[in-house]
Amino acid sequence: MEIEEKQAEVIDHFVKQVSAQKGSALGSVFVEATSHPSLFAFSEILAVPTVAELEGTDNSVHLEMLRLFAHGTWSDYKRNSGKFPQLVPDQVLKLKQLTVLTLAETKKVLSYDQLMRELDVTNVRELEDFLINDCMYAGLVRGKLDQLQRYFEVQFAAGRDLRPGQLGSMIQTLSNWLATSDNLLVTIQDKIKWADTMSELDKKHRKELEDRVMEVKKAVSVKEGWSCEREFFNSSKNA
Amino acid sequence: MEIKRMASSSSSGLTFKLHPLVIVNISDHYTRVKSQLNPPPLTSTSATVNGVENQQQAPRVYGCVIGVQRGRTVEIFNSFELLYDPSTHSLDRPFLKKKQELYKKVFPHFYILGWYSTGSDAQESDMHIHRALMDINESPLYVLLNPAINPTQKDLPVTIYESELHVIDGIPQLIFVRSSYTIETVEAERISVDHVAHLKPSDGGSAATQLAAHLTGIHSAIKMLNSRIRVLHHYLVGMQKGDIPCENSLLRQVSSLLRRLPAIESEKFQDDFLMEYNDTLLITYLAMFTNCSSTMNELVDKFNTAYDRHSRRGGRTAFI
Repeated sequence: MEIEEKQAEVIDHFVKQVSAQKGSALGSVFVEATSHPSLFAFSEILAVPTVAELEGTDNSVHLEMLRLFAHGTWSDYKRNSGKFPQLVPDQVLKLKQLTVLTLAETKKVLSYDQLMRELDVTNVRELEDFLINDCMYAGLVRGKLDQLQRYFEVQFAAGRDLRPGQLGSMIQTLSNWLATSDNLLVTIQDKIKWADTMSELDKKHRKELEDRVMEVKKAVSVKEGWSCEREFFNSSKNA
Repeated sequence: MEIKRMASSSSSGLTFKLHPLVIVNISDHYTRVKSQLNPPPLTSTSATVNGVENQQQAPRVYGCVIGVQRGRTVEIFNSFELLYDPSTHSLDRPFLKKKQELYKKVFPHFYILGWYSTGSDAQESDMHIHRALMDINESPLYVLLNPAINPTQKDLPVTIYESELHVIDGIPQLIFVRSSYTIETVEAERISVDHVAHLKPSDGGSAATQLAAHLTGIHSAIKMLNSRIRVLHHYLVGMQKGDIPCENSLLRQVSSLLRRLPAIESEKFQDDFLMEYNDTLLITYLAMFTNCSSTMNELVDKFNTAYDRHSRRGGRTAFI
């Protein structure tokens, strides 16, 4: 989780700045924050009380923009571009990076077509450059690019800020995971017991066989002269 | 035998790092000497007769340990064996010198750090050897391996002693003080130790016990994973209820982790997995088949051999 470590200082810095200022000055702080190359987490800034005060005032556009960066995607911006202030190129880039993160949330295999649609990119070369330079080298995602089948397979994606409802679903996923691993543990224990029982049975069977052979051998050795039968019994012991 | 008084912990402040190679060398030396001295009994009955005598002849083996000392850290890499002269109670010096030169050529950085021996506790006579080695290294180490196998003991039966000058009853005396050490492994050592550790269950024998051992390993690994997931779950529930203040950075990390689940669900995986599973089953089936048919063949041969002699009349043909 190197991204979190890299972000921690930047987050602190911006939180201090935000709590120190009020009103319209916050707008410029937001622009700075959203253009910063290593900052991808905005919920700490959103949690500062001075920011919450912006709700409903003239500067609520800035708050909306910050919320967009925290939870939204590039398509959200395009659809409602009237509600948001104009974005500088750095912010556009960051929003696109965050869009990739959101897409990776739902599916592990992202097709190039979908990515190109969501990110407004026209050719594959540009898309791959964007993914490699801006997402992978920044440490946001790790995965494999399959050009022949036009897929991007995501192995790891950094977390975005949580929407309020997401905590519940995360807890659900965790409990499912727990239940599955508990079941697995029980199954493994059963298998171990089974393996032990089977080997016990096998040993017992062998021992019984040996005992019976010994008995028969003793019985036969009493009767001298029946050479062919002795040979038969001796060889049947090996069968 | 009087045991030299020992303090329970050393105060020299040196940290010791012991490599597994040294431990394996010492135990190998001891096992070789012991088995050459007492050849294994031919039948089980003779063992009980000789058993009483064997126990008194636990031999003591001696040798030197070499390694590197960097500042306050002493790292023991290797060891070699030495001859002990019981008449003079000292180690064979010319041999030691020769060995030292040989090792210096191969490992120029290693110095003689001390010596080792086997036994359950350090003894009086050991101090003589210790003092004798003090001209090579001003503060030699004494590594003691306890060859008695104690199944309940969890730690390694290896102790490292240093010598310190303590004033006891008004007389300054050199006594042994025990020091703690850590085990340090190089990658090659780790692989071989791992390999040897896995060999142990198979002395019981059958494949079932190996399977059980393997499954037990997996079981404990999953149990650890389970406990950690439980902790995360508990933490998140607490956060939801509001007992714990929300920490966004952690939540982000958890969400990125959970995004990786389900970890293996793609179709390619299912295909490969099922193919390999079917292959294994097929091979097992084939092996069983071969086994059965060869047993059958043997049985038929024996049957023929046994009953052929009676059908010399020629009319009957053999069974198959």
